[in-house]
Amino acid sequence: MEKQLEKILRRVQKPGRYSGGEWNMVRKDWHSMCVKMAFAFPDVYEVGMSHLGLQILYGMVNDREDALLERVFAPWPDMEEQLRKTGLPLTSLESRRPLRDFDIIGFTLQYELSFTNILNMLDLAGIPLRSADRKGGNYPLVVAGGPCSFNPEPMADFIDVFVIGEGEDALNDLLDAYLASRRSSEGWEDLLLRLAGFDGIYVPVLYRVEYNDDRTIKALTSGSEGVPALVHKRVVTDMDAAFFPTRMVVPAIETVHDRAMLEVQRGCTRGCRFCQAGVIYRPVREKEPETLLRHAGELLGSTGWGEISLTSLSTSDYSRVSSLISELIKRHGPAGVNVSLPSLRVDAFSVDLAKEVQKVRRSSLTFAPEAGTQRLRDVINKGVTEDNLMDAVGAAFSAGWQSIKLYFMIGLPTETDDDIRGIANLARRVLDKGRMLVRVKGRLKVTVSVSSFVPKSHTAFQWEPQNSMAELKRKQLLLRDLLRSRGLVFKWHDTRSSFLEAVLSRGDRRLAGAIEAAWRNGARFDGWSEFFDLGKWLKAFESTGIDPEGYAYRRYQYDDVLPWDHIGAGVSKKYLVREHRRSLEGAITPDCRGGQCPGCGLCATLEVKPYLAGGETVVPIPDTIQ
Amino acid sequence: MFRYRIQYSKRGSACYISHLDLIRALERAFRRAGLPIAFSEGFNPHPRFSFAAPLPVGVEGLAEVLEVEMKEPVDHQVLAERLNGALPPGLVVLEVADVPDNAPSPMAVLTGAGYIVHLDEDDLPGPLPAEAVRHFLSQEKIQVTRKGKDDKEKVRDIRPGILKLNVLSQVNGLTIQLDLKTGSTMNVRPEEAVDAFFRYTGMSIDKADLQIIRSGLF
Repeated sequence: MEKQLEKILRRVQKPGRYSGGEWNMVRKDWHSMCVKMAFAFPDVYEVGMSHLGLQILYGMVNDREDALLERVFAPWPDMEEQLRKTGLPLTSLESRRPLRDFDIIGFTLQYELSFTNILNMLDLAGIPLRSADRKGGNYPLVVAGGPCSFNPEPMADFIDVFVIGEGEDALNDLLDAYLASRRSSEGWEDLLLRLAGFDGIYVPVLYRVEYNDDRTIKALTSGSEGVPALVHKRVVTDMDAAFFPTRMVVPAIETVHDRAMLEVQRGCTRGCRFCQAGVIYRPVREKEPETLLRHAGELLGSTGWGEISLTSLSTSDYSRVSSLISELIKRHGPAGVNVSLPSLRVDAFSVDLAKEVQKVRRSSLTFAPEAGTQRLRDVINKGVTEDNLMDAVGAAFSAGWQSIKLYFMIGLPTETDDDIRGIANLARRVLDKGRMLVRVKGRLKVTVSVSSFVPKSHTAFQWEPQNSMAELKRKQLLLRDLLRSRGLVFKWHDTRSSFLEAVLSRGDRRLAGAIEAAWRNGARFDGWSEFFDLGKWLKAFESTGIDPEGYAYRRYQYDDVLPWDHIGAGVSKKYLVREHRRSLEGAITPDCRGGQCPGCGLCATLEVKPYLAGGETVVPIPDTIQ
Repeated sequence: MFRYRIQYSKRGSACYISHLDLIRALERAFRRAGLPIAFSEGFNPHPRFSFAAPLPVGVEGLAEVLEVEMKEPVDHQVLAERLNGALPPGLVVLEVADVPDNAPSPMAVLTGAGYIVHLDEDDLPGPLPAEAVRHFLSQEKIQVTRKGKDDKEKVRDIRPGILKLNVLSQVNGLTIQLDLKTGSTMNVRPEEAVDAFFRYTGMSIDKADLQIIRSGLF
């Protein structure tokens, strides 16, 4: 098989995606491992290898003496064609073993539009797609985790076990339980029952759903004893002591983010009402600067990367960010190592940080005001004013940047055409500011990038409908006309993929047939515009009797049972209702870092508190410092 | 600056690293090894590497050539050992030598490359006719077409670029040894030459079936 694989590698575009053999790759002795797990990333190598979660779990499991974790990525269509033509199964990178030989396959659900790749990978591995067809058949246990497992229902028929919340907290429990179950020769059902007893583990087959006549959900109940009605997410309580991989695998071919990643904190407390990550990664937990500096040194030494990126949902919120950056530059700058910041808050402080790390200002800076008017920014609780933005871009232009990107969302709840015009006005004001401050006017560029609002589970906007595709298209065209001007560039997202994202993110179990049908129709890499084809999906919805608009465009009532109500993100539904009501009044809710607890309920439910470096739980929020 | 000529091999999974990715991989290996490589000046400093001839993706190299500049002198043995401890699997330093400051770049002095090409038994279209190699090489012209950058097909005569073509073995398939001109004046690819050879015998092969090893540069 090895030889056959070599042969097909010569026939694909980027064989380095499948060849393995990277620096820091761990290849363990197959036969002496008690439990063998494959980490399956349902996107291409270059995307998967840029994902910090993969590196964390890879290091953590391979640190165990009794377990191995190997990687597998979604094969690009040219590789899929070769695999199907030759009949070769999908194999892992490390030991080039078929996926079927593993005990556990763990998929990560990073985005809804990767769901069909999961089915494709199972199929290429010769594993039945549905959990029901696998029981007793001596197949690997199929596990899934990641953000989309917070509404696991659309994938419930295909996945045996979902891990809700942070994997480094749950995965060891899962592996230990799996081992214990095997040692006592338990059957499939007993294994699942045992797993369901753990916090953060959701076994969909153990739950029953009843529906109302109007297609809403009547009830979702756990049938058996020891199976919780509400599955609480897993949270790392001490981020500073949590496992961090300082021997990351260094990809052999260029990836999307080809650099060392240093996670400075987890969580974000700003409370934007559309943002799912802000809820599911709560509370904020900062790492100590000393820990970060130690990890950075080890990481750079073991990988040789020439760039280190300070990652988190909002790195400029990290309370020690300035001193951390200067110390990193002091220690590693002389060896030619750059520090980078992936996400910036809209304020002058962030520009100062960017100035610090970017000696050469050629690239553009991106800010995300999200909405065009103050009214709508208050609705979404963005906590950013026009003054904040003008200060930030002013600082950026003065510091030598010539290109600014502004990121907005359209289709937000309560949005009117005035809000759309507000986007154009804001962009023009930014451009005017640039004309005042940038010397080489020809290079001045303001890019307006617009995505479409997708209602997500566990957010204040989970009850809200998505705008219709026609309405989103109309708004895009309106904006395009308003933004016709020298120096302004307009970019927008395909409304069709946003629609599908909404269907899948608010979906329930009845979607399984449609997802499978779409895959059979040839849907693959739906997140890639060159492959996405809504037609394949519409056909699939039609053939399985699904009304996709019912999922994307429905306005849920507060007392409706939502498909994800049995998944506990720690934030109470009462709080989300309150936040939703406040949003409609345009009332903003302050960040809990400032000491005002908005009462989301998470700290009490999960017994975990926000943690800021130095042991504090409250600090002044940095954007009040000038 | 201190210039060193490094002879290395690139085999196994490393043969799928493209030339651009190889530059990145080497830079990281030098960093891990803690070797004081010199960087170019300018906005985007890059390590001062100089290669003899890029190796195509999927082709193994037994004796490739790289020249590096260092900020400080490094003992040959130390350089080889430290780098070998930091290179990803498949990349191995074989030899280190000094390069005088005024020496031309390896690219400039290079004129040829040796290859071993193997075709599995299953992929062979048929037995080779007797004297096939001699007849093939006795042609005055060997014309091949290659797509240019403008996507137009160009006809070229590669006969002057084929310095040697030998059948090494016909056990378990066919193994051919080739010496081909390489470099700026004339560049012949091994798969081109082997494909032309089979076409001359009236048979056709799939170029993707060829296992190609570059045995050396001269």
